[in-house]
Amino acid sequence: MTTQHPLNRRWNRRQRDWAVVFWIAFLSASAGAFVLFGLVDPLDMVSSWADKYDIGLRLAYGLAFAFLYLVCLLASALTMFMIRTGPSQGHFKGKGKRPIPQVQDPSQSNPELDGEVWK
Amino acid sequence: MSQMQDTGTSLYRKDPKVYPRDVNGSFASLRKLAVLVLLGLYYILPWINWGGHQSVLFDLPARKFYIFGLTFWPQDFIFLTLMLIIAGLSLFFVTAVAGRLWCGYACPQTVWTEVFLWMERWVEGDRSKRMKLDASPWNANKIIRKTSKQVLWIGFALWTGFTFVGFFTPIRGLGESVIHFQLGGWETFWMLFYSFATYGNAGILREQVCKYMCPYARFQSAMFDKDTLVIAYDEARGEPRGSRSKKDNLAEKGLGDCIGCTLCVQVCPTGIDIREGLQIECIACAACIDVCDQVMDKMDYKRGLIKYTTEHRLSGKETRVFRPRIIVYAVLLIALIAGVIYSVNHRVLLRAELLRDRNALYRELPGDIIENIYTLKLINMDSKPHRYKIEVLNNENMRLLVSPEPELEPEEVGNFIVRMQAPEDTGRGSLKVDVRFSTLDEPVIERTVSARFLLPFD
Repeated sequence: MTTQHPLNRRWNRRQRDWAVVFWIAFLSASAGAFVLFGLVDPLDMVSSWADKYDIGLRLAYGLAFAFLYLVCLLASALTMFMIRTGPSQGHFKGKGKRPIPQVQDPSQSNPELDGEVWK
Repeated sequence: MSQMQDTGTSLYRKDPKVYPRDVNGSFASLRKLAVLVLLGLYYILPWINWGGHQSVLFDLPARKFYIFGLTFWPQDFIFLTLMLIIAGLSLFFVTAVAGRLWCGYACPQTVWTEVFLWMERWVEGDRSKRMKLDASPWNANKIIRKTSKQVLWIGFALWTGFTFVGFFTPIRGLGESVIHFQLGGWETFWMLFYSFATYGNAGILREQVCKYMCPYARFQSAMFDKDTLVIAYDEARGEPRGSRSKKDNLAEKGLGDCIGCTLCVQVCPTGIDIREGLQIECIACAACIDVCDQVMDKMDYKRGLIKYTTEHRLSGKETRVFRPRIIVYAVLLIALIAGVIYSVNHRVLLRAELLRDRNALYRELPGDIIENIYTLKLINMDSKPHRYKIEVLNNENMRLLVSPEPELEPEEVGNFIVRMQAPEDTGRGSLKVDVRFSTLDEPVIERTVSARFLLPFD
C-alpha cells in the first residue's frame, strides 16, 4: 500500500517569499545590531530623551534593534518585490520578449517625406 | 525594406543599443525647460548665500541643515520626515492624475541622461551618424569623437559629484580645496562615488535603470486607473498602417492614419514601439507624440495619432479628474503641507534638555536642604545672541543655581550645571517640576520643560 506524500505541508510561493523576507531581515538586523552595539552604547545615542522617559538599557537595545529590523525588512521586501515583478527566467536569452521593433527610413513610407529633417 | 535596429553592446540582455533620435516639439521643449530649471537649481543653489549661510547646506558634522534661511537641528528631524512623506504623497498624487510625469520630465535619471545625450549628439551627431560611427572601424575620426565625448561626460560627471559634496560641505571652501589639491579623503571619495554614479547611470545604463532597477516604475501601475493620463496610440484611427502618398485616398487604399514611418520608435529613449500598447518601459517622455505630430502636419492629417489620453477617453467614455483617490491624496497633501508650514513658522527657537545626574539621587545640605544636580543642554536656535532666565514654575520653595550664567551666541549649544534646591519638607519621593527658560532680551522666546526632583523616600 502506498501513502501519499504530505504535500499539504508545503508552502506556496507567497508564503515562501515572506518567510525569506522576514528571516533574512532578522539575520541582517541581528548582525547589524551586534556590530553596532559592539561600538556604541544605545543609551548614548538616545540619552537626551531616554532620560526623560527613563527607558532602561534593555528597552534602548530593543528599540534600536527594532529600527534596524524595520530598515532590513523594508530592503528585503523591496528586493523580493523587484525580483518577483521583474522579467521571468530566460529573459536574457530573449524568451517572452516582445519582438524588437522594426525601424525604417521615413521616406520608405512616403516618398514625399524624403529629405525631411525630423527635428 | 525595413532594417533592424543596430546591435550594440548592452549590459543586461541582448537587446539592440538604443540610439534615440533628436526631436523638437512642445513636449521636448517642456523637458528641456525642466532639465534647465532642475539642473540649474542643483548646480547653482549651493553657490547662493541666504541669511549668512549657503542657501542649502546639510552640515552633517555640525548636525545642522540650512535650507533657505531656515536652520534645522537634529530635534527638527520630524520636519524632514514630514517633507519626505509630502514628497512621496506628491508622487502618488501626480501619478494618479497624470501618469509618469515624474519619469518623463523630472526624474534625475531622465534629466541627467538628457544632458549626456545632448553631449553625445554634439560630438557624434544624431542617431544615424552615431550608428554609423559605432559600426565603423576604429580610425582617427572615431578615436577623436569618442575621446571627446568621454572627456565631456567625465568632466560633467565630476562637476556633478563636486556639486553633490557641496551640499554637505560649504562649496566655496570645497572649491578652494580642489584648486589647491587639498581635498580630504572622504570628500574625494564621495565626489568620485557620485561622479561615477552619474556617469554610469546617465552615460552607460540609461534606459536599463528604468526597465530593471527602478522600483517606482514597477509599482506605479498600482496608482493608475482608467482615468490616469497615459501616452497612447489611437489604434482605431491609425490602423491599418501602411505607406502611402499624400494624395492617396485612404478609404480606397483601406489605410488608417499611421504611415508606418517608425519615427515614434526611433525617438523613443527606451526603444519601444508605443503602437504595441502601453508598456512598462514607457517613461512618458512624449517624444513619440512630438514626432508623430510633425508627421501628421507634413501629411496634412489631424494631430494626435499618438497623444496623452486616458483609457476611458480612448474607449469613448468621459474622463473623470476628481476621483476618490485623487481627492484623498489632495486632502492629505494640503493638510500635511499646511501643517508643516504652520509648525515651521511657530517653532520655538530654543531647546532645553535637563538631564538629572545619574550618579547620585540627591544630596543633603546643611539646613535641611535637598539638592539635585542636573546637566542643562541649552540650544539657541535663533540667529541672534541671547541671555536666558531660568525659573521653577510650580514650586515657590525651590531655588535654582546655574553656572555659568546662560548666555549663548547665535546657533550655539551650551552645557551648564544646574543645582536645584528645596527644603526637605517639600515632599517625599519623586516630584515633577516645571522649569521655564526665557530670553532676557528681545525677541521673547520661552520654553518650559519638566524634570524630576528627588527627595528622601521615607
